[in-house]
Amino acid sequence: MAKSDASEGSKDPGLIKLVEEQQVKVPEKKKPRAEQDVSDLLDMKMQKYLRGEAANLEVLQDKKLKTQLAIKEKLYGQSAKAAAKHEQWLMPNEEGFLEAEGFEKTWRITQQSLLNEVDANSSRKAFDMILPELGPYRMKYTSNGRYLLLGGRKGHLGLLDMLSFDIVKEFQVRETVRDVEFLHTEELFSVAQKKYLYIYNRHGTEIHCLKEHGTPLRLQFLDKHFLLASVNTFGQLHYQDVTTGEIVANLRTGLGRTDVMRMNPYNSIIGLGHSSGKLTMWKPTSAKPLITMFCNPGPVTAIGFHSNGHLMATAGMGCRIKLWDIRKFEVLHSYFGHASTLDFSQKGLLAVGDRTHVNVWRDYKGDQRYGRYMTHEMVKGYQVNNLVFRPYEDVLGIGHSMGISSILIPGSGEPNFDSWVANPYETKKQRREKEVHSLLDKLPPETIMLDPKEIGTVKQPRKKEKKSKKEMEEEMEAEVETAKAIKLKKKTKGRNKPSKRAKKKEEEVLKAKRPFVEQRLKEEQPFKKQKMMAEGEAELPVSLQRFARKQAA
Amino acid sequence: MAETKVCEKKRKSLSSAKAAAVESKKKARKFERKARREEKKQRRVHRPGPRLSSSFRKEIGIQSPRDNAESNDDFDDEEERVRGDVFEYEEQVAEEETKKNRRFDPVDNYEYELPDDFEDEDVPSDDEERHLNMLHGITGMPLQAFEGGEKKKVIFSSVQRDVSDGKISIQDLLDPLHGKPGYSDLRKRIDQLEKKPMAVQPPLPKVEREKLERKVAYKHSSKDITKWEPLVKRNREAPTLYFDKDVNLGFSTVGAIASVFEPRTEFEKKMASLTRDPEVMEAHLKDGAKLLELNKLTVEDVKDRQGRLAKMRSLLFRHEMKSKHIKKIKSKTYHRILKKERLKAAVSNVEMDLEAAKEEAKKQEYKRAEERMTLKHKNSSKWAKRILKRGLDVQDEGTRAAISEQLNQHALLTRKMNSMKDSSSSDDDSDDDNDETDSEDVSKLLNKAKEKIVKVLEEKDEITETGVMALPFMQRGLKKKKEAADEEARCALEEYDLSLRQLDDNEEGNVTLKKTSGRKVFGTPGKQAQETNNQNKSDRGNSDSEDDFDNAEHVQSGFEADNVSQELQIQPDSLHDDPRQKSVFKTFDDIVKDPGPKTTFEVAIFASDSWRKMKTEDVVNVNKKKQATAKQALLPDPTPEEEVMYQNSNSDTDEETVEGDFSFNPVPEYELPSQADLVHRAFATDDVEAQFEKDKLDVLNEENPEPEKPVLLPGWGQWTNVQKKNGVPSWMLEEHEMAKKKREEALKKRKDANLRHVIISEKTDKKAEKLLAKSLPFPFTSKEVYEQSIRMPIGPEFNPAISVRALNRPEVIKTAGVIIEPIKFEEVDPNENPDEPKRIIQNKNSSSSKNKRKSSKSKKSSGSKVSKN
Repeated sequence: MAKSDASEGSKDPGLIKLVEEQQVKVPEKKKPRAEQDVSDLLDMKMQKYLRGEAANLEVLQDKKLKTQLAIKEKLYGQSAKAAAKHEQWLMPNEEGFLEAEGFEKTWRITQQSLLNEVDANSSRKAFDMILPELGPYRMKYTSNGRYLLLGGRKGHLGLLDMLSFDIVKEFQVRETVRDVEFLHTEELFSVAQKKYLYIYNRHGTEIHCLKEHGTPLRLQFLDKHFLLASVNTFGQLHYQDVTTGEIVANLRTGLGRTDVMRMNPYNSIIGLGHSSGKLTMWKPTSAKPLITMFCNPGPVTAIGFHSNGHLMATAGMGCRIKLWDIRKFEVLHSYFGHASTLDFSQKGLLAVGDRTHVNVWRDYKGDQRYGRYMTHEMVKGYQVNNLVFRPYEDVLGIGHSMGISSILIPGSGEPNFDSWVANPYETKKQRREKEVHSLLDKLPPETIMLDPKEIGTVKQPRKKEKKSKKEMEEEMEAEVETAKAIKLKKKTKGRNKPSKRAKKKEEEVLKAKRPFVEQRLKEEQPFKKQKMMAEGEAELPVSLQRFARKQAA
Repeated sequence: MAETKVCEKKRKSLSSAKAAAVESKKKARKFERKARREEKKQRRVHRPGPRLSSSFRKEIGIQSPRDNAESNDDFDDEEERVRGDVFEYEEQVAEEETKKNRRFDPVDNYEYELPDDFEDEDVPSDDEERHLNMLHGITGMPLQAFEGGEKKKVIFSSVQRDVSDGKISIQDLLDPLHGKPGYSDLRKRIDQLEKKPMAVQPPLPKVEREKLERKVAYKHSSKDITKWEPLVKRNREAPTLYFDKDVNLGFSTVGAIASVFEPRTEFEKKMASLTRDPEVMEAHLKDGAKLLELNKLTVEDVKDRQGRLAKMRSLLFRHEMKSKHIKKIKSKTYHRILKKERLKAAVSNVEMDLEAAKEEAKKQEYKRAEERMTLKHKNSSKWAKRILKRGLDVQDEGTRAAISEQLNQHALLTRKMNSMKDSSSSDDDSDDDNDETDSEDVSKLLNKAKEKIVKVLEEKDEITETGVMALPFMQRGLKKKKEAADEEARCALEEYDLSLRQLDDNEEGNVTLKKTSGRKVFGTPGKQAQETNNQNKSDRGNSDSEDDFDNAEHVQSGFEADNVSQELQIQPDSLHDDPRQKSVFKTFDDIVKDPGPKTTFEVAIFASDSWRKMKTEDVVNVNKKKQATAKQALLPDPTPEEEVMYQNSNSDTDEETVEGDFSFNPVPEYELPSQADLVHRAFATDDVEAQFEKDKLDVLNEENPEPEKPVLLPGWGQWTNVQKKNGVPSWMLEEHEMAKKKREEALKKRKDANLRHVIISEKTDKKAEKLLAKSLPFPFTSKEVYEQSIRMPIGPEFNPAISVRALNRPEVIKTAGVIIEPIKFEEVDPNENPDEPKRIIQNKNSSSSKNKRKSSKSKKSSGSKVSKN
């Protein structure tokens, strides 16, 4: 699913470039210009685009296939090289992290000092919006990072254009609002309200009221599948296709009420955190959870998924924040602390929100060992409700009890956007075009699976479903019945004697039974043999074992 | 014999100038003869081997000198034939000598000897010698110069001498040739011949021979086919085949064609000179006002034109009137005449024009069909019926004639016509039948045609000078037509001449001409030779068998060559076969070895190992511990000691205890327990972990249910007393154990077998199964290779624009309307690296002769390559 980042004309998406100072320094390109390095870099990027290694073609016996595959591999190589070159020369923007010198620590740099250094355009992006009345706010960004949707607990909804800082629409539903979520564009958004799930358009007009979802607590939109997922107070997970309105799946978790729900952007699998310390992963086509993990002794409070699909962060009441490798379901690292909300940025920064503290962790060495990167303290009493990184911007949005805030986190957003994937500057026409395209490219719900790369591969030979003994017996009985029911011909010359007839019938029955008996014998034999072997060895006392006939290996 | 003797005598006379010398020589000769006779007798006794019959010998005796005189080659042939004779003829005793029945008078001396002093009367005098002497005297040149012409005679004489012995050996014939230019070659050949056994096998039966021929032909053709191998291989392996045609027509527009136009004929030139007049062109280029000036016409011109037009108009008018008038004529006789004329014209037209003839034939056919269907002329009309009813005899002459006419018409119409096609084909057939007269017939026909054409050419055309034909353009048109016809006739004439000449040549050179067929025929040329050389056959007794021998040799050599080629051809096949079989086994083995694919989880394990290896001291965070404050308890601590990993064996509780040891944790003095402890305590009652394990067990049991424990049912399976004694029957226990084992194995195979804190659902998603391949797609034999081959997305979203098209090119690209022609042979380098998608552009005019020559080379190279493999 990884799309190539080959983008056409990329504007600076608001990369924060700090002027070098005593304390703070944003690294400029530090690559040595030697040709060797350039080629090395190119090779590295090429490897990325080659998506794995070619198969060993020497093994192939089919000459035709061999040549054809060789040609194909060559084409792949060319394509990867071209893509790597694109990336190198047409995507000049690199994420810039804060870097400390000497005694300086990046997490000591406050937003204030940061804002003094950044350009005016970037400094606009950091703001605080105090909305004390309608209390704790949740927020969401569109996938291109342009629009912000905020929902106050007490029924305040607002749609903001973050490029122009315009309020697109602001209105009150006068109901509890538990969660907000954009659908595929900013044109439509869904709101989990007191009783039902509603869908509004950008003008605040109520488009739908989805009663089947019950009382939703959390919402997630699977944009590639056009599925709106919600988890309600009964712990039911609903998937609804927003294009057809069909409820694709209604899955009962059976683990009680939960308001911890996150979608894995890599494979669109929904993760739910439960009060029993369990984490379950769901897809719409299976009634049972794909994965059930025991994360924490206490209830799970937050989940975050890395966009590369390997990494998951969970936080629990047990004062543990854990990083998981979700390819093998093992804990990579475990940190001490609480978190009410977790979010991974596009570039892999992890935001941890706990009460009034906001911490941003960074994977310094690329080994999934996260360390503190930046911190932000809310004003006393402002409880952090949720944290959302803004896509394609170095901005972290904070929804808290007294409104929303936005802080700068250098290096969090993807600096080069791909307008085929998401364009923060898209026009109305482009949006419409994209809408059509994305609708055409809509994936069916079956494509959601743990490893999406499995699609197209050869199906595993299904385990031969053995019939149980009971079933076998039933079948055999049925066969025997049919055999018995066969009417014998009337024969002459002493062949019609009752004894003969009985014999004949018996034979028929035996014939019907035979295949079943044979099958059973076949199944049992290997075990019996093993057992015999084991017994034979075991029977001899130790002193006599040396005389046992050694079997030729 | 007499002649030779004469020659001898002459020689003798040359050398004997003096009588005494002659005398003495004669005596010597006598002795010589005697000695030779003795020798001859001895030879007869001793020499084994083939001998010529006396009659043959006689013949040779007469003919040999003549043969000698003709050519050396003939002489050799003769020699060989003599040598090659295997059938020995045992000469019987002459009838005279047998003295059977006393039929012949007894004769004492069969070998009559001439008396010593006998001299031939017709021996020429010494004139020649004298003549020579005279020449010598006059010219002063040595005598030998004039004796040149007689050298050959010497040779003959020597040969003759041997012949008189009755047995000619090749040596005898060769000796005189000693020192001649071709001698050594001849010698060698003869030696070879002598060495070889001369027995000739009888020819094979026809079936066998044909079998052999077919075999050889097959080998030959299969060898011929191998040249296609590299070409076919390249096409098979090409990712894309293009079927295009060079659609470059050169000109794209009418204007483009016009711009290249060059005037050729006089008329065109004239036009060009007028239209491309620089003045006019200039005028065109400018505003065109000058054109008006250039457009001036003289009064005479206009008048002339007007007059011409008027004349034309009046002529046309008159023609029109005339035709109208004709149309109005109601006279039947006139129309009949007109019709007849038209018919005549049509017939003549048919004769001239093939197309018209065809049409005519069609028409005829149609008419016939119509007649047969309607039977219009078979007294079916009302009129005819009425007349027949009344009786024909009653009718007058005219009516009867009309009736008979009608019937005639019917017969004429319904008669099956020999259409032109049929007749020609039958002609051909007959021609085929009598081959001998074929050429004569053809020549006759050709001559006839020629005469006709000449007549036509010579014919003066009388153009009617009246009516419309008088119009100048009509006349011109006629003239043109006539010219064209003449041209055609001339062409035809030339053709006829040519073919006639060829026919003559054929007749002459028929003997040398050989038929060549597409498929090579072995062995048959001998027969052909037989046919052609009928005359010579009588002379050359054993030519036939010898030819056969030659042919056999030819065949053999063919075998050898083909064998070589077949070896080359077969080898690759055998090479192919073995590894393929192996591969099949291999794949089976593979399948057996690893029944399931490697899961991603295994990969992940490996990856994680590598990560672990990568762990190093984090320099940035080294001194974190010191700065730890109460607040920092929240913060992540990336140093290795601070973090705890779940090991497979470790339980969560272990981890908790480890956490308790953390030194950096801020432990205020007033707080007794650590954070971890507190947490532990907080959730102590829940025991969620145990709950989870129970859950897992439930799930496992659901998927692999635990077998039921054997329950003792009194009296079930065994008598109760036995049951009491022995407890549960052993077979029940066995069964239970087996089920248990099975379950354990199934559990061990689960992905989450080693992960205590994870349940991975093993249920297969039936809906998602349609997204997977049911079996390996055809050309693939290994799953790995297949899955690697689909790892790259090829869509435009994932690839740069440069490579998208190449990645998505279809297998065959064909422009609409292009006819795919059969494959043409093309020179292909078998070692060529197929980097680029192959492009086949169908070109009609690709030279083949050049390619063929190259192909033989390439074949060799490919063959060698294969054999290396």
